[in-house]
Amino acid sequence: MSLEQAAIAANRFGFGARPGDLRVIAGDPRGWVKAQLTPERALPAPLAALPPAEDDVLAFGRFFVAQRLNGPNGDRIRERLEKQGVSSAQMQPVEEAFRQHFRARYEASTKARLDTAFATDRPVFERLAHFWANHFTVSAQKPQAAAMPASFEREAIRPHVAGRFADMLLASTKHPGMTIYLDNWMSIGPNSAWAKNPASMPRYTFGPGGRPSGLNENLAREILELHALGVTGGYGQGDVQALAAILTGWTYERPAPRDYFNESVGKRDGAAMFRFEPGAHEPGAKTLMGKPYTAAGAAQGEAALADIARHPATARFIATKLARHYIADAPPPAAVARIEQTFVRTGGDLRACMETLVDSPEAWAQPFAKFKRPEEYLISVMRGLNIRQLGPGVGAIAAANMGQRLYTAAGPDGWADIAAPWLTGDLVWKRMEWAEALSQRVARADVDPLSIGDAALGPLLSAETREAVRRAQSPQQGMVLLFSSPEFQRR
Amino acid sequence: MHRHGPVGISRRAALSAGLATLAFPALAFGASSSKRLVVVILRGGMDGLAAVAPVGDPAYASARRELALTRAQTLPLDATFGLHPRLTTLHGLYAARELTVVHAASTPYRERSHFDAQNMLETGGARPYARDSGWLNAALGALGAEARSGRRELGLAIAPQAPLVLRGDANVATWSPSPMPDANQDTIARLMDLYRARDPALAGALDSAIAANAIAMDAGGMAGGRAGARAVAPLAKAAAGFLRRPDGPVAAVIEMSGWDTHANQGVDGGQLANSLALLDAGVATLKTELGPAWADTAVVIMTEFGRTVAPNGNRGSDHGTASALFLTGGAVAGGRVIADWPGLAQAQLYEGRDLRPTTDVRAVLKGLLGDHLGVNAAAIFPDSAGAAPLRGLVRA
Repeated sequence: MSLEQAAIAANRFGFGARPGDLRVIAGDPRGWVKAQLTPERALPAPLAALPPAEDDVLAFGRFFVAQRLNGPNGDRIRERLEKQGVSSAQMQPVEEAFRQHFRARYEASTKARLDTAFATDRPVFERLAHFWANHFTVSAQKPQAAAMPASFEREAIRPHVAGRFADMLLASTKHPGMTIYLDNWMSIGPNSAWAKNPASMPRYTFGPGGRPSGLNENLAREILELHALGVTGGYGQGDVQALAAILTGWTYERPAPRDYFNESVGKRDGAAMFRFEPGAHEPGAKTLMGKPYTAAGAAQGEAALADIARHPATARFIATKLARHYIADAPPPAAVARIEQTFVRTGGDLRACMETLVDSPEAWAQPFAKFKRPEEYLISVMRGLNIRQLGPGVGAIAAANMGQRLYTAAGPDGWADIAAPWLTGDLVWKRMEWAEALSQRVARADVDPLSIGDAALGPLLSAETREAVRRAQSPQQGMVLLFSSPEFQRR
Repeated sequence: MHRHGPVGISRRAALSAGLATLAFPALAFGASSSKRLVVVILRGGMDGLAAVAPVGDPAYASARRELALTRAQTLPLDATFGLHPRLTTLHGLYAARELTVVHAASTPYRERSHFDAQNMLETGGARPYARDSGWLNAALGALGAEARSGRRELGLAIAPQAPLVLRGDANVATWSPSPMPDANQDTIARLMDLYRARDPALAGALDSAIAANAIAMDAGGMAGGRAGARAVAPLAKAAAGFLRRPDGPVAAVIEMSGWDTHANQGVDGGQLANSLALLDAGVATLKTELGPAWADTAVVIMTEFGRTVAPNGNRGSDHGTASALFLTGGAVAGGRVIADWPGLAQAQLYEGRDLRPTTDVRAVLKGLLGDHLGVNAAAIFPDSAGAAPLRGLVRA
């Protein structure tokens, strides 16, 4: 029995202990972590209730319709729509409906993500899901992708968290969330049928608009740089262009124009929406990192992604990111090497990689090497208090006030996984203010903050923090000091 | 900029009163470079043809129709241009040779999305979403040792989170009024003791926050509660409180929204005129509050794109391309309008509707960063070889 190891397991691999957790974990901390490295049998209820990708696509499309109808070409679009059988009465209420719909959608998806993490009995799996969703970032920062992160995360990431990296890379690349976020829908081969005869191209009135005009390298570049090989992975600009050409035609099926103007609810998930568009595909064989790819159609991209997924540079890159997330901002080279070897040996089995990580002594050596990001901090405090859900918007606003507006990472590299961007004056201050506001709501005379600290951190709670909490003027002040303590801010 | 409120005022007031117990060492260091840069971002697309009206362009009145100002309404700049009547402070600065207008300016962006355009304005990238950090942060990171020494942070955003232009590797501070309730003074002191004992990094961060709050309090930066949600002056006052300190940040960023005037934008009065007046008052406050530091300060006021030349059906204007940009400050070699004027006749317009861009905003920024801050900005703006730095924007 080791309570200290249990506290490390709960904080480092999970999202923090709930009251009573540590004693359960202490029997076999490593076993407790490893037992959660299995695919989930069913989605947690809050996530299962969210809409699928097609509905997210419709949501943005409805907003876009309104924008277009109010924009400079609105009259022309109205005319065309009327010809397609959409009445002007149907066009009117779209914008207001979307506003309400979209705010509710953001609140529902962030609430589901947070409530799941607050209440889950599989926090190790949940942290992994967050890690991989951040690795394959789809950010609402890009307006066209505003509605997509939640369905992307659920449909492309979660099924593969304890599975194979190759499968996750493929699912990500085929999901409309990624296709939209990194512009692949607008990438067409310079020698494709569409490029040779632009009149044959469909006109996209809704959803991400504009006329595809040529190769777009965005997705290909980020696959190589951020998803798989890493920036030092040994590829060049020619490889970016080759992969972009290989992936031309990888897009998604758009809902019918009429569906933007009725109550239609999208039912298909991202995989079902994937479409290989032969008209946009650059014909012929391509050479990527010295290897020719000759298959026709989508099979060419599938072969290329399978090779990228098991490339030695990918093994190195993924091992480094996992070690950085779970062990330290500057990951110990020995641990990275071990995870890398497992990745290579198993062809990218992510469960095996995590087991190697869990078996690394470095992962259990320095309990507070990592500074929590605002969202993890929020989750761990809620778990410490055994609060299992928050009202719509409440958790998202708290995280935003502390510097992390959920689902809006600045770029495709996601939220930083090192302390520096988060350990700043204003953000540390805002955490303390949040702890103050929270404790004013939850502190009670009959709740001893020290017992909350003991249940969450056990022997990891420092003598200085104990002393500060014990000497507090009130349970409320004790709670602020506990939740603001270094042990609660780090993992 | 909706975060001013009585809650914040009482918090900072309480904090300031108790500061004696929380001394911080920032004043012990002397910083040696006094150059300052303020970046004001006008979000939504400011109508450059309203702010700086080309009243001498023969096509102006007929192209702008009901949005046109008469020459008599404007504050005169030169034979071609007049300032909007509500920009009285800027006009005074022009007369004092501390204001330069750059007209028909744009980033390389040629579509009309706010988000993409702001992304390019702030990253300095040649296409949207090509980069995820800002040109100002990169410039601060490239400052020489002399300019860096003795400063806690090189940049400051008067905002809860650094805007994209200020994001990146260089150390920047953020300060904003808080929507959350007062932090208890005694709790802060106890927490500081705990951090000092257990966690130097957290102690340093909390110390920095306390220092920033005190400076903002001294500057009276919280006095915006009655000034309206979009008032710039309170933000300018807070920014000046940081900038005028010898160990203060080299650069600060202020944001102002509300420029997306699709309907009823007004001419000499109305919605747009009110925004211009708020901006003008913000510049006046900045100059007053900076005091002697104004002489070493350059302020760049820029927006993501301009607006259509012709009014739309709602007495407003739609998203356009080129706009006007302002450079002001005691360090600016002002008193002129820099414009390779493209003209407003129908055939001269970009895509038949917008003011055609003739000056690349990156050329202005590269010249300013080079001559004012001594930063080689070539690497900060990728693929910008065609936008040679504009020289001579600041006094030698």
